[in-house]
Formats: sequence, structure tokens, C-alpha cells
Amino acid sequence: MATATIAPEKIKEIPENNYFLTPSCILGAVNPGTEALIGRIYDLLGLHWKAAGDSPESQCTCCTGFSSHGDLISIESTLLVTARLWSVAAEMGLENITTACVTSYAIHNECLEMYEREPGLEERVDGWLRQACGRRLRIPKHVVHGSDILYRYREALAEKLRYRLVDHKTGHALRIVDHVGCHYAKVFPKKSIGGAESCDVLTGPIRSWGGETVDYPERRHCCGMGFRQCAIRPNRGYTMACVLKKLESMEPWKPDAILTNCPGCNLFLDKEQWAILQITGVEYNVPTLSYTELAGLLLGWDPYDVVGIQSHTVPVEPLLDKIGIPYDKSKEWLPKEWLTQEKVEVA
Amino acid sequence: MNGNGSVTQIVPLAALLSKKPEELETMDNDELVAAYQSLRDQEDGARGSYPNIGRLYGTTLEREKDRREIRAQAESSDAEMHAWYDRARNEPCTWWLKNHLVAKHALETCIACGVCTSQCPAAHYFAEYNPRTIVDAALSQDEERLVELLKSDVLWYCGQCGSCIPMCPRENNLMGLVSSLRFLAQLKGYHLSSVRGRQQYAMRHLCGGNLWNRGFSLYFRNVTAEGHPDFGPRYARYQSEAEGQMIRLGASPDRPGNFGGRKLSPQTLAEFRSCLVSGGTLVLWNQLENHASEDAKKSGVSIEEYHNRVHREG
Repeated sequence: MATATIAPEKIKEIPENNYFLTPSCILGAVNPGTEALIGRIYDLLGLHWKAAGDSPESQCTCCTGFSSHGDLISIESTLLVTARLWSVAAEMGLENITTACVTSYAIHNECLEMYEREPGLEERVDGWLRQACGRRLRIPKHVVHGSDILYRYREALAEKLRYRLVDHKTGHALRIVDHVGCHYAKVFPKKSIGGAESCDVLTGPIRSWGGETVDYPERRHCCGMGFRQCAIRPNRGYTMACVLKKLESMEPWKPDAILTNCPGCNLFLDKEQWAILQITGVEYNVPTLSYTELAGLLLGWDPYDVVGIQSHTVPVEPLLDKIGIPYDKSKEWLPKEWLTQEKVEVA
Repeated sequence: MNGNGSVTQIVPLAALLSKKPEELETMDNDELVAAYQSLRDQEDGARGSYPNIGRLYGTTLEREKDRREIRAQAESSDAEMHAWYDRARNEPCTWWLKNHLVAKHALETCIACGVCTSQCPAAHYFAEYNPRTIVDAALSQDEERLVELLKSDVLWYCGQCGSCIPMCPRENNLMGLVSSLRFLAQLKGYHLSSVRGRQQYAMRHLCGGNLWNRGFSLYFRNVTAEGHPDFGPRYARYQSEAEGQMIRLGASPDRPGNFGGRKLSPQTLAEFRSCLVSGGTLVLWNQLENHASEDAKKSGVSIEEYHNRVHREG
């Protein structure tokens, strides 16, 4: 049994069941396995959840998050879009919003906070929503992130794991560094498990699943995704610099993997390692996984057909070798040499 | 239907996509919008997908269609917030700080401790960036100073991570304040004074185009290997097979489903768009078009050349 390091009062109320899952734009685009795994894990735990609704075409849109922080969306439009999503959830009888994206998590919580701060706003948004699409504002009971749910059920999942975060040859715990998304821990620190400084939402599962955690100096530093900073090419040096700062900071501990709960962090902490190799000549090659990808691998689900490790730039296979997770070598995505090739002809 | 109430004949996809900007200009607004929508919603029954979504996205055609559609919707909107933002663009910046829903709740007081700057990743990267001075300018009520800030590049350095929030002893929301001021800069056209500000025209058609036409901020075909040389050859290989890999992993590229790349029904997209319109967002998008058009004319380039230029500037 892992030792708890978070005071009970710092652990928020996480709903037990009945979740409306809002997907993520970034995960869906670049790490599709990560997103589908959330539902697969909910199913494994026997939890009731829905995302699309009962019709084949999803009613679930973007929350506006990326565009909102890209300074393109009015706050009132964001309030209306989230109110519409809450209305869809309520139609399905679900009052607990679980988001796949940490920016969605912050956006939904920002809307909840706005209703508390601004007198009369609830009535105004309800009126606008009725006029815009014939729906009514239904405030959800909880807004939590998918990683909150896994935190709640980390011990239950531990009992189902086929593998643990242990080097199968030496028996030593693997060293996993966490990187919690800023929009999970910093925007509403009181709603983060353990707060912004000592967030436990990822370190809790790492301990429960047999691994060792490291509080490296730049653990809380942003990955540098930055919305307009990563989206507009001339601005991307900012993103690379933030990733480099984190890699240099964690390097002395020789981490076996980085664990994330944010779509943008999972993308850039992984993929910018190639750019950093080109710039600095240093091969960090630290596999970067989301909390659902790590859970899926430890549960023994197929690394390629279910988890989707082939969507990662830093090869994940060396981590599988350490844990002793077998995989079909013929399916191995690409040899490590692909990391160092400057130009590769793509068929 | 076109503006006269007669049925519009749909132009074939290849013919539409091959039209040059000047040829698109000769098409009637309703004809263009109807042709786009009809083509977007054409199903490939055998594959259960909507392949034209991928063919239409990010094209000159889509941008031209969006310009006209947004302008028409913006001009005919009678939404309360539409009128509010239309008024706000002509009010002083100090008025905005007192009245905008985010800005008016963002700041309490400031003790000038500088913890926001010490925690800020952007301040670590950009030597000239100091978020504390943005708080100072906002609290100053000095219109001239605010205009100077709104015209500057530094306004656009913030990465919107929120690292400034948890340590602030006054619980200020500097991240929200910056985004709110950026919105105002664009409404007023002050963003044209800075390289980073002008980039917003690219953001408007990247994220705004995705939102308006597909219901997401990011579309899986956006993250191309050519656009992301920093992601390296392994990503290029993955991206070349993205659609197949997504299906393998349970996503729904350009087809109905729950996850990545899913195609929304016309009804859902219509509801989503209504939310954007009612919230006043189209005032901003239309202003961005007006400002970009004027700036392009000054530079002697077409709006498409301008769009491609601001993507690369910086």
C-alpha cells in the first residue's frame, strides 16, 4: 500500500460514478489512443459514462479552450458553449463533468466561478442559451478531470494491473517524474489534489503502481505550449526553451519516464525532444506518457493497437523492456535511429 | 437557396477548389456558403466518412467563405452581447477594465511583490517581459499608457499558463487580464502595431476556421509534418498515416463518433455557432477581417498574401 502524503482536507470531493466525458481537441488530433483509453478504463472499473450521446453523431463540441486562450473568443461565448455542453450532459441524466483536457477542466471551472462572482449572470446566460439553441442552463454538480477519477480509483486499478512500475530484472522501482498540466493545478489550486505546489494527482498513482517519484527543481514549470506560442511557427522557440528547461532539471535523476495529465504537455514534452536533440546534441529520450497510456500499458493492453505508443516521438519500447511488458517486435513502430535522421523520405 | 429564393446549383468540389481568389469574388455569397456546406456534408457511404471535410479545411475557399459568412452574420446579429462588444470597441480602455466580465474581476490590488514575474515562464524567456508592469498599467487608469501596452509586442508574450495565479497574495487573475486586454487590442485594431499582434489574423483562420466549420479549436490535419519540422521524422511518419492510426485507436477522423476528428451533425454545429454569435465573438472576428483588409491594402498585398505573411512573421 502506498503511503499517503496529502492531508485529507487537500483532497477534493471526486464523484464516484456517472460521468459525462468531454473529449480534447489536442489529444484527439495527436494522441488518439490516450483519449479512447479514458472510456476503456472507466469501463474496466464498471463506471457509467457517456460522451457522444445516444445518436452516432456526437453532440460534444470544443469547450473553446484553445481558442479562448488564443484570445479569439468572448467570455460570454465560452459561457454559452459550456452551458450547452452541461445541458447535453443533463439530458443524458449526468451531472458530473469529467474532462479529457486540463484546459477544458479550467474553462468549465472558470465558468462556474463566474456564476458565483457575477450577480444575475446565471439568469442572463440561461436566457441567451434558450434563445440561441432552445436549451436551458443546468449547473453540473461536479467538474473534475479524468486524472481525478483515476486518482480516486488508483488502488482499485493497482489490483487489476498485470505489471508494476518496477524494473523486472533488478526489482527496483522505476523513477517516474510527473508533469501536471498548469491548467489543472495552477488556475484553481484549491481544486487541485494537493494544491499547486504539492500536487498529488499523478504522484499518487505512480506510488500506488509501484514507482518512485522525484520532486525535481522545475517540476512545476510550464511545458511552454502557450496556445499562440505553439500554434504560430515563429513563436515556437518559447515552447522548446520551456521543454529544455524541464529536461535539464530532471536529467540528474535519470528518469525512466515522464507522466502527464495534460494533452499539450504530453505532446510537447515528447515531440520537442527531437528538436532539442538537433539544437543541443543531447539525447534525453525520456519516454513521455499520459496517465491513461501508463495505466493501459500496466494493465497489459496492446501497446500499438490499444495504447498507441506509435504516436510518440521518443520510443516507448525501452520502458516496456524495463518493465517486462512483451510486445510484438514485428509491430515495433520505428527503430531508434529514426530519431537521429535529419531527412527521411515519407511514403 | 440563394438570396433570391431560387435553388442554387452546387459547384463540383474540384471546380470550386481550383477557383482563384479573384474568381471566388465573382460568386454570390449564398451560392458559396451553400456549395461549401453541401460538399462538406457529402458522405462516402462505403467508408462511412465525410472526406470533403479534409479537402475543404484550411483552403483559400474556406477562408473566403468564412469572411463573407461571418460578415453577413455579424451585420445581421441583434444579440445583446454583440451590441455590447460593438459599443466596447469605441469606448476608452479604462471603460473596458471596469466593465468587461473577465477584466473587472481580474484585479483586486497589487502590492508590487513581483511574484507573478518571478513565477512566469514567459518572463524567464523574454528579457523585456514583466507581467507586473501589466498589472501596474491596468491599475493606473492611464488611458495613454494602456493604449501603448495594447500596441506593444509584449502583450502577446504571455503563454496563458496561469503560473502567476497560485502565488499572488491578492489572488489576481493576471492570465485572464492579459487575454482580456488582447481581445480589446484586436477590437480596436491596436494589434496591427505589433508583429505578434498581427499574427492574430492567422490564429483567427486557424482556430476560428476550425471552430466555425468543424466545432473544434484544433483539427487533426492541422498538425502537419511540414508545419512542425520541430517534431522530427518519427512524427512525419506517424502523421502520414494519421487517419488509419486514429481509426485503429478508436478515434473518428471525419466520421461520426465519440473522439478525435469526429464529424458533428449539422444540428450540433448550428447550436455551437449560435453560442458564438450570441456571445458576441463575431464582432471580434469581423473586426479582425476589417483591420487585416486595411493593413493588406496599405502593404499592397492581397488578403490571402497577408494571411500567409502574418503566419511567418516574428
